[in-house]
Amino acid sequence: MNRALPELTVAVHRERGNAVRVTVAGDLDYNTAPELRRALDDVPFTPGVHVVLDLSALTFCDSSGITVLVAAHRLATDAGGSVSLAAVPPAVARIFGITGLDQVFTLHPTVEDALSADRER
Amino acid sequence: MTVTEQALVPADEEQRLAAVRRYAILDTPPDGAFDRVTALAARLFGTPIATVTIVDENRIWFKAKKGLPDGVEQTGRVPGLCASAILHDTLYVVADALRDPRTAANPLVHGEPGVRFYAAAPITTRDGHRLGTVNILDTRPRSFEEADLAALGDLAAIVMDELEMRRSAMRTVALERELRARVEAERTRLARLANTLQRTLLPPALPEVPGLEVAAHYRIASADRVGGDFYDLFPLADGRWAFFVGDVCGKGSRAAALTSLTRYTLRAAATYDPDPLEVLKNLNTVLQHEYQDGDARYCTALFGLLSGCGGPEGVEVTLAGGGHPPAYAIRGDGTVESVHPAGGQLIGLLPDARFAVTRLRLSPGDTLLLYTDGLSEARTPDGAMLGEGHLPDLLSGLAGASAPAVVASLRDLLAQTVQSQSDDTALLVLAVPAAGAATTTTATAAAAAGRSSATDRSPAADRSPDEPSPS
Repeated sequence: MNRALPELTVAVHRERGNAVRVTVAGDLDYNTAPELRRALDDVPFTPGVHVVLDLSALTFCDSSGITVLVAAHRLATDAGGSVSLAAVPPAVARIFGITGLDQVFTLHPTVEDALSADRER
Repeated sequence: MTVTEQALVPADEEQRLAAVRRYAILDTPPDGAFDRVTALAARLFGTPIATVTIVDENRIWFKAKKGLPDGVEQTGRVPGLCASAILHDTLYVVADALRDPRTAANPLVHGEPGVRFYAAAPITTRDGHRLGTVNILDTRPRSFEEADLAALGDLAAIVMDELEMRRSAMRTVALERELRARVEAERTRLARLANTLQRTLLPPALPEVPGLEVAAHYRIASADRVGGDFYDLFPLADGRWAFFVGDVCGKGSRAAALTSLTRYTLRAAATYDPDPLEVLKNLNTVLQHEYQDGDARYCTALFGLLSGCGGPEGVEVTLAGGGHPPAYAIRGDGTVESVHPAGGQLIGLLPDARFAVTRLRLSPGDTLLLYTDGLSEARTPDGAMLGEGHLPDLLSGLAGASAPAVVASLRDLLAQTVQSQSDDTALLVLAVPAAGAATTTTATAAAAAGRSSATDRSPAADRSPDEPSPS
């Protein structure tokens, strides 16, 4: 069956140490947010875990998307871990600025920065 | 014959008749599958007549027949032939009907067509009820070995399989129809609920504010999915006025409940302590408390106070924000300023959320536009978001326009944009008319999904976004 490009792709990767990289590509909106929410079930939220959300290929994020990002933040902090966002595209960064989420999440320019920032802690 | 003779009634008659009804075969039109069985039976056994009969309460009904004249649809439930055959769970054979005491009195035997040979195999359901028989008949006596007639039992089994398949297909169709009807009913119910909720969530009409011209618009992106945009404008006890515009996260009934809670909390908080920062903090506490379990429930909002309404200098606006896109001040000279209480966070998300406040004056000729992201995130056909550039340019051209004119222009603009189906849009426009101008207050509501209810408040509600705007 021919399919158009999927609207949202999520992948969970284990990184060195206690880090987990989650790549979120495409439009994160009302229709696709549940996909990311499900993918979070595969993330081991354990004490000290550092989840890096790689948003370099994120093209859109609405309030439903923000709900899931915040859920990830809660899951991590409740477990005694942390979440940071890497490579946030300008359009999404704008939304983060408006909503004040840039003060809630740690933002890093690249995934490598986010991962090494974790190792230095 | 109207009453079946006692001797012909099987022990399971009540359940048997229920089974006959269950297969819904009586009085159905001719069907190739059953006709083939009679044709095959006649050929196989070399008899001139073959039938498939179903025994009803007071009649024997022919589902298929070969060798009988047209118009013979049914016969009485009289002893000897089919009516007797269903009393047996195996083959029922009469070699010479005229000489057989079981059949001699049967009208089909001593009258037309003069049946002499009769053999029948019962059509038996899986739970053992005999619905009728597959029959072969001849007008001359015949003698068959039982073993030679075994195939008649196979044909009866084929008829039973056919009835089972018919029934299961009918059930599937009925189930599918029922499901479709249920889904349709649910959709209608939801659409009505959404519409009702949406209308209860908005103020019925905007009040008249001294020295101010106000207009609002609410665009419902999807009639069956309640959005969470809201706005309100109301007087405070000390002569000041309060207003807010906001957007709750999510869609559907949970979003509707959250919207309702948010609106009433904002109103209540404003009467208790109208300081905009305090109002937002109050809302934050309420939302935190309300949704401490499960996923985050939050909203974005701009909450403002108007003082000096009706004075010659225009009005003083104190605007606090939490996570909401900036408002725009359109100055009389065409300057457009983004009014952003910068740094305000989403409301209800964090226990110690920070909110920001900003102040501005609206002089005569100035207009303040408050909106939700359905406007700023709508895209022009070339893909650009309105919030990034187009909007301030367009607003500049609306300097000095009346509040309803600003709303009308933005509605036209929205009609030309590609909007996300999930994003509602709320607009609230506050304008201080230039000296000498008349004031107007309007509110419109439009259901964009083309299924608007007749109870919507304005004629604009009947307009779908795909239709050209009335000029």
